[in-house]
Amino acid sequence: MDEDGFGKIGENMKSLLIDQEASARSDAGIIVMSMFFAGILIVAFTTNPIASGTKIGERAPIFSGDAYDGASWSTFEFEDLLDSSWTWNSTEDAPWIAVEFLDTDCGYCKQSAPDVGEWAQMYSAEQWPGPDVIFIAVAVEFVADSSISEVEEFRAQYNNNFLYVDDLDNDIAGDWDVSATPTYFLVQPDGIVAWNSGQATNSLGWDAKEEQSTSLNGFDDGYVQLNEAIEQLTLLNGGE
Amino acid sequence: MNEYAVLSIHGAVILFGVVLLTPLGESVSKILHSRYPSTMTKRGQLLAGMMFVCFGGFTVSAHTLWMHNKLSEGASVCSSDSILNCDGLIGNVAYNTDPFLGQPWGLIGMVAFTLLMWLVITVAKEPMSPQSLLFIKAGLGATVAGLPIIGLLVSYEIKEKLICPFCTTAHVANVIALVGFFLLFKLHESGEWAPDMKKSSRK
Repeated sequence: MDEDGFGKIGENMKSLLIDQEASARSDAGIIVMSMFFAGILIVAFTTNPIASGTKIGERAPIFSGDAYDGASWSTFEFEDLLDSSWTWNSTEDAPWIAVEFLDTDCGYCKQSAPDVGEWAQMYSAEQWPGPDVIFIAVAVEFVADSSISEVEEFRAQYNNNFLYVDDLDNDIAGDWDVSATPTYFLVQPDGIVAWNSGQATNSLGWDAKEEQSTSLNGFDDGYVQLNEAIEQLTLLNGGE
Repeated sequence: MNEYAVLSIHGAVILFGVVLLTPLGESVSKILHSRYPSTMTKRGQLLAGMMFVCFGGFTVSAHTLWMHNKLSEGASVCSSDSILNCDGLIGNVAYNTDPFLGQPWGLIGMVAFTLLMWLVITVAKEPMSPQSLLFIKAGLGATVAGLPIIGLLVSYEIKEKLICPFCTTAHVANVIALVGFFLLFKLHESGEWAPDMKKSSRK
């Protein structure tokens, strides 16, 4: 651009700042900003948005994928497990969801697999006084190369009776902000994360009735495990 | 209230603006003449039409932001078994925010139409300003810049095999605003921008 061109732009910018039409622009600005903030206020006062994420109190990201039930692989939709009409006071016995991210090559996952299998049976048994808890394992590949057959073998080896979802491309783990295994989540029937083992303050949970974080302290070792979170949160105030 | 009844209100505002932009605007604008004498001129009709289009685009964008928030609460606002389904798109966390700022598309639309409204109102308040052409060109540029964004959002609709009627109304409002700014530009260039002044300058 030649000097004249720059000069013209400069003149335009200067006149935009100091010319007599400035009042027209500021008047128009006041009108549109009033309109904008009126719109924002209406939206703000009539909604109560919940952020999507995996922190306690956030709406868990939905996912889908191939899932193994011990016999065959079929399509799994996390959304199908949710009940958007669920509230703390609803009488329906909607199940809560425990999501475990595991790697078949991770030592801690192998160590905890028998316990998780036991909890999956315990929290859906007739004797369990609270709402059923559906367990879902999401198999990721963090440590070393894994394969579908390894996932099938892992499930069989630890006699887990719940679905194993294939996430060997770590897509779901990315959406759920999971960077280590095993990581556990407890999700309310309406899809809100009630407890997250990876969150720094892992002694906290989400009290659905109070709609606020609730302390899960009171354990000897100060560390809350998935089973303890299930027992405290699903049975808060006597459960449903 | 049924969501499509509300959508038709947004649509009616935009449609009224479209009529003012067309040759039909000359007769339709008569209802505005007594309150707004500027609408007696072609320039006034185009600017009034643009205000309605931008306002309709703004309100429908605000409505999609409201839906975004409602869906995050777990509500269902516009779902159906047919291809017309807002919930599957506005409620889809993979697509419902812009990839750079992470803001809901409804909010982006509100900001965009607020900017366009500001340009249109400024031109309408001072049509004889030497900057009016600059403002029209800025509006033209802004609406053209909106086209790739609309393309991205339509690609999401194709991917999900769903159409969000509220989002589509906002996209259409942007395209109409583009046409409106182009008509304003043509009018400015044609010398018909201020016919009275042209006559007086000849004297």
